[in-house]
Amino acid sequence: MKGRWARFRRWFQGIPVASWLLGGLAAATVERLVGLVVAYTLGLSGIPSFFGLSLILANPAQIPAVLVYLLVMYALPVYLVARATAAWTARLVTRMSTRTYVFVHVVLLFLVVYFWGELDSYRLLVLRLLAISIILTTSLNLVNGWMGEFSVAVAGFMSVGAYVSSIVMVWGFVDDDVFGPAVFPPTLASLAFPFALGLGGMAAAITALAVAIPSFRTRGDYLAIITLAYVFIVKSAVENMEFIGGPRGFMNQPNVAGFPVVFIWTALALWVIYNYTSSTLGKATSAVRDNESAAEAMTVDTRKVKVVAFLTHAFWSGVAGGLYAHVIGYINPSSFGIVKSAEVLAMLYLGGLSSITGSVLGAVLFQMLSEILRPLQLAKWLVIPVVLIVVMIFRPRGLLGFREMRFPFLQPRPTEEVGYAPASD
Amino acid sequence: MSIQQIFNGLQWGSFYALIALGYSMVYSILMLFNFAHGDVFMVGAYIGLFVATAVLGIAASGLLPLPPAVTFVLVLVLTMFLTSFVGMAVERVAYRPLRDAPRASAAITGLMVGIFLETGNLALLGASRRTFPPLIETVTYTLGPITVTNIKILTIVLALLLMLALNLFIQKTKTGMAMRAMSVDYAAVPLMGVPMDRVIVLTFALGSALAGAAGVLFSMTYPVLEPYMGLLIGWKAFVAAILGGRGSILGAVLGGFILGFIEILVAALFVSTLRDLIAYSIVLLILTFRPYGLFGEEYSARLRI
Amino acid sequence: MKRLWWILGMVLLASLLLVGCQPGPRAAYGGVIKIGHVAPLTGDIPKVGEEGKFALEMWLEDLEKAGGLEVGGVTYRIEVIHEDNESKAESSAAAATKLIAEDKVLAIIGPYASKQAIPTGEVADRNKTPMISPWSTNPRTTKGRPFVFRAAFLDDFQGFVLAKFMQEEFGAQKIAILYDVASDYPKGLAEFVKQSAEELGMEVVAFESFTTKDRDFSAQLTKIINSDAEILFTPQYYDEVPLIVKQAHELGWTKPIVGSDSWGSPELMNLCGDDCVGSFFSTHWAVAGAKGAAKEFIDRFQSKYGYAPGDVAALAWDSAHLLQKAIQDCGKLTGNLEEDRQCIRDALANISEYEGITGKMRFNAEGDPVKCAIIVRINENYDFEFYKQVCP
Repeated sequence: MKGRWARFRRWFQGIPVASWLLGGLAAATVERLVGLVVAYTLGLSGIPSFFGLSLILANPAQIPAVLVYLLVMYALPVYLVARATAAWTARLVTRMSTRTYVFVHVVLLFLVVYFWGELDSYRLLVLRLLAISIILTTSLNLVNGWMGEFSVAVAGFMSVGAYVSSIVMVWGFVDDDVFGPAVFPPTLASLAFPFALGLGGMAAAITALAVAIPSFRTRGDYLAIITLAYVFIVKSAVENMEFIGGPRGFMNQPNVAGFPVVFIWTALALWVIYNYTSSTLGKATSAVRDNESAAEAMTVDTRKVKVVAFLTHAFWSGVAGGLYAHVIGYINPSSFGIVKSAEVLAMLYLGGLSSITGSVLGAVLFQMLSEILRPLQLAKWLVIPVVLIVVMIFRPRGLLGFREMRFPFLQPRPTEEVGYAPASD
Repeated sequence: MSIQQIFNGLQWGSFYALIALGYSMVYSILMLFNFAHGDVFMVGAYIGLFVATAVLGIAASGLLPLPPAVTFVLVLVLTMFLTSFVGMAVERVAYRPLRDAPRASAAITGLMVGIFLETGNLALLGASRRTFPPLIETVTYTLGPITVTNIKILTIVLALLLMLALNLFIQKTKTGMAMRAMSVDYAAVPLMGVPMDRVIVLTFALGSALAGAAGVLFSMTYPVLEPYMGLLIGWKAFVAAILGGRGSILGAVLGGFILGFIEILVAALFVSTLRDLIAYSIVLLILTFRPYGLFGEEYSARLRI
Repeated sequence: MKRLWWILGMVLLASLLLVGCQPGPRAAYGGVIKIGHVAPLTGDIPKVGEEGKFALEMWLEDLEKAGGLEVGGVTYRIEVIHEDNESKAESSAAAATKLIAEDKVLAIIGPYASKQAIPTGEVADRNKTPMISPWSTNPRTTKGRPFVFRAAFLDDFQGFVLAKFMQEEFGAQKIAILYDVASDYPKGLAEFVKQSAEELGMEVVAFESFTTKDRDFSAQLTKIINSDAEILFTPQYYDEVPLIVKQAHELGWTKPIVGSDSWGSPELMNLCGDDCVGSFFSTHWAVAGAKGAAKEFIDRFQSKYGYAPGDVAALAWDSAHLLQKAIQDCGKLTGNLEEDRQCIRDALANISEYEGITGKMRFNAEGDPVKCAIIVRINENYDFEFYKQVCP
């Protein structure tokens, strides 16, 4: 068994991530050129949106066609191009500084995903929702993972962020029957969008302060209940604000949250949170989780550490809320109920605490599961809970709890003896 | 503000109190948010519906003519008994495998069991609402400006009785003592030769039986059953349980009644539109000044991560 | 070994490119017309989704019996793809996008509640795919969206009808309103009734609210009873109405109660019983004494699914038939999705008069139906008896 695994792995060995991304780019190009024709030839009704998984569920007879499609469109081009460019990229990559390395990979990832997603509006929408979920999950991880408390306020923060940024954008850039004609020329909407999002995030953080000040005097499960009350309060407050539509909702958000914008914000959020967790402040946060008195003895200002982590969480959830509002183009208070919080919690614990890659993985799996299983209709919500329960039973700390995902054998970083690192666990 | 509203608050509070007890018991022993509890309450109501239909059917067929009072007691007891198995099953599936895991993971499995129960109900019984058959004829008493039904009084009295019984059980019996001990020191109790699994299972059974009772009483007052009926009331009872304070039967009961009162009184005194806004701001204020709940003692909740 | 794989891959790619240069001639959609159905099968209102789904299944059954739908001399099979929107706005938008992009449907029926229909309408309109929401009553669903239609009448019209009815029928001067503040439809209608009532010179002495999923209304009802209202209006859904009516009676309310089209499910009487007898509500159709197509629809639905259909099922049925008519009016399907969707949209807008089971209707410029409202009385046999018709 071990030998077979090693042999299987040798196929991928020494191919750097950048090559795989180039392969992805090639596959996306091939799909763009001939995808439709291949799909028709195979008897599919069109290019399968998400690897044909929902097609298979809807009609199992399509399995062979979908498999052939996947092989021809994705597996072959990706592998061939990755293999062919491996040596070249490895040489290039090992010469890069870490900063360039990360930058190049993020740009490549963006190109692959965008090129692939842009072919199909369904992909593009789901990818944007997915990116928003990633921001939410990662930012919640700060509080529930690194800080070790239990917060359920995500939906409330989202709501505040969504409403504030929507109000700013609609007031400023849209001829609307609520706020009258646009104050600024609508062409500037995209430029102002980051500021609106930032304002939304800040507003969420300010309301979070009201929760944070009393609740971090003590520790315990107090935060769970306070944040739960917070979600009820925000929902009820928005329902009572007539000028933004109350329960009827608020719409007409300008269409400024395209995939590139959402991607940049997601990358930014991940970068900030990654730096946060690896900073002194982040280490202090984990120290508070593991032993508060010990942390205090080591001169950690526990209260400040907790409040900062909580506000960061609130800010990014607010930003995600603002993105959500502009992606969907309509918000109403009941979109941000306790069910939304529960969804993000499920993503977080599925992926694992205190792990950025875990949060990304959890969000991706949960979101994809709930898209792919659509053909099951009602049964979808029987399958998803069962899957999650089974995962939690076998991996109680989530898929990647307290560790980050690494593929050492995919990374051709220079070592002393060889050009690039051999596979090792 | 009328005396009428006090009665309304008492009745509404009884439901919160009965459900909050289930949360509180599990929480004090395992330090665990049993997020499936609201849906156990929902299943309890449906079990009550089927038991009631069966019992009424037997009574109507003439085989066993039962007076309404007996029917009611029979339905209540049977439902409590059957619902306790639901609680035990939830414990077995969702919580026992995760007993040594971070407890937040168990909260997620609980959440998922809840969704499973809701959707399962929907898939099995269809989307139509069910109506609960009247077990006891409603009688309305009018005393001056107050109108009270016998069901309202019955709910309040029975809820109080059940809570008293639970309190007696926990204070006087050996198992009750084991439960109290576990809420003080979870790790030490098994060392004293107490069968931990049995105590935990019993805790879930008792909490669920109370949720079953709440289900029957709730359905008699509000006779429309639907799969998502436990969702919101479950979350709110959870607030009530913590509002009362950890590990305190009295705390959970009073937390339930206080939340019920706050909700009813806010709706009565202010614009009812603002009910949730004001009611939960009050909860927030209470918790700001009494962080361990109204009756909870100071404790350090070490997260077992 | 390695070289073999290379060659194999290249040959495959090359052959595909060759195939790609000659797009094969295709019959219009392989003889299958796909229609999407976005409905809340789980979440707050699963019953609405279920009834809509059943109504469309019956429609399909009819078409199958007829051997398919004939459009411009070609017979097509109709396929309906049901999507659950979980009662969530984003899921609804994603489901509609999936239907449009992946399944390549010609048109969409649904979603039902306005909070999903508004964002989904945006998706449909942006992708130029016709959509008919059977049940959404919020004006914003169709406003400024040429591709979005609806089958239900709007809140402002119904609000006016109800206020006028209360004044004329009961001579009421003071009315009380109890509604769900967190739900789009009841809140909208409550406000329109209030507005119309005040315009007609009545006074709203109690304007009480609660929040979705509340089961206890005693605080609000006690306030209403203590006011001197002569009539109680509650635009709630049929599963909340029994609770409200029963609690009102228990707390001593004896005056009339009036409701809106959301009462119009036969299930209401299973849940409510004697308490609801004698109440009035406005609706799209009268189940009792229904004739012709409506009667046939009710009987068939009842025998097939075990319960009588509500207005949701009826509106979904009418939406499907409106769509069917539009496809046929279109004359010919070209196989070009964009053209066909546009053609169906134009045909929908141009329907001059359609006689559905919920009455005669046509669409105005906004895509809203122009149709009559009916006031029914709940009689002692638990039937919804025709009482009055009000046309715009």
